[in-house]
Amino acid sequence: MIVTAVVGLVQLDAAKAGKPSVIAISVGTASLLFQTAVAATLGALGSAGSDLVELPRLAAQNATLRERNRTLLAENLRLHEVLASVPEARAIERELDREPGGIAATVVGYDPENVFRQITIDRGSEAGVRGGDGVVSEDGVVGRVVAVLPFESTVLLVTDFASKVPAVVQQGRWWAIATGTSGRVKLQYVSQDAKLRIGDAVVTGRGRSFPAGLRIGTIARIDHPEGALYQSAVVEPAVPFGRLAHVVVLPSREAAEPGAGSGSTSDALDVPDGSPAETRSGP
Amino acid sequence: MRVRSEEDIARTRAFWAANKPGDASAPVVPPDPVPWWYVAGALAAALIGQAALAPFASFRGGTVSFVTLLVAWYAVRNGSLRGLTFGLIAGSCEDALAGSTGVAWTFATGIAGLAAGRLARTWLADTKLALVPGAAAVTLLRDGAFAVFMQAQNTPLALPLNHLHAALWQSLLDALVAFAALRMGDFGGRLAHRR
Repeated sequence: MIVTAVVGLVQLDAAKAGKPSVIAISVGTASLLFQTAVAATLGALGSAGSDLVELPRLAAQNATLRERNRTLLAENLRLHEVLASVPEARAIERELDREPGGIAATVVGYDPENVFRQITIDRGSEAGVRGGDGVVSEDGVVGRVVAVLPFESTVLLVTDFASKVPAVVQQGRWWAIATGTSGRVKLQYVSQDAKLRIGDAVVTGRGRSFPAGLRIGTIARIDHPEGALYQSAVVEPAVPFGRLAHVVVLPSREAAEPGAGSGSTSDALDVPDGSPAETRSGP
Repeated sequence: MRVRSEEDIARTRAFWAANKPGDASAPVVPPDPVPWWYVAGALAAALIGQAALAPFASFRGGTVSFVTLLVAWYAVRNGSLRGLTFGLIAGSCEDALAGSTGVAWTFATGIAGLAAGRLARTWLADTKLALVPGAAAVTLLRDGAFAVFMQAQNTPLALPLNHLHAALWQSLLDALVAFAALRMGDFGGRLAHRR
């Protein structure tokens, strides 16, 4: 009776004042928490239910997307590879345009004991390669063929100690012999009168294996000893031998001109036959 | 598997008795010969690996010669005659890959196999630490023989001193690889024993 009277009085009092009663506030707050909890639970259950219903479709969609992703990744890898090979392929095409009779080849190996600076290419006598043929890349002179098998050939790089190529310093037309020093090339027998400068371009002189004017490298150091007959210079090769992948073999002029003499694969010197008018060898 | 004669086994026992008396770990019979297909596979891998990677695996001009190590190991296990034969085969393969060496590697590697085979079934072959300088010595011998045969073919090495320098580095690298291989072999053996 007392509780009923109190509730009634509180409610009447609040109604009279036009405000929500204490009881209404308490019940409303408590019910809000409860309602929130129930709504969240029901929402989660509803979502889980719908997810459960959607699960097979999602699984199928996931598998499709995974497959598509795998295909796209493979395609991406292939396209990257194609993109990477485009510059090289274009370089070889340009080189072949310059030397129409050239034979494109791929580097497949090196000297197994690394005694000689040489590479193995995948073209041999069956493709028309002959001993003594010059080998170039887009960057410049690579070396000379020293051994030929039916389907592969060995190329002695210009950086090998045994390699000797007739060379001309482009600025001044000074004649020299370019020999290998394992990592670089050394210009020997340069006249003491020659005004060499660091950065001067060095190209091939006309010889058995190479036509004139192919880039060998640039002068990196000059040795000009007093009292010596000749001066010498160290040349930084133009070709990056560490990442050489494709080359072009230039059939030697002996092959193109029958009866011009037989090539010797053991002869390390590419004998120069440039006319004296083109080059200067001394005073 | 090759059948060993009683004399062969008795001789090995005599070597052990003379040089390592009381060593309980001494084998009572010589090790079995290596099957040829193992060696052929290892040779192919060594040749292809060297031809593909030699310039990139070089240190101060010297490059590890897995072919030399393989020939030396085979010769030590199988004796001079087999060492010589395997050396000739391995060397001819190297000549084919090198292209411009004629038959220099063939005979140089054959001689290396013959020399390494002289160690076979002696107390030295069972002293593992002796195999490390042995590998270096065989490498030097092979490089020296190579220079001689190149000279004999009228294609002398352009700068012999540079090649000597490279050969010294190669022998050191070969010795290091031999040491590492022996240690790995020991480790593998201990693992197998535990299991």
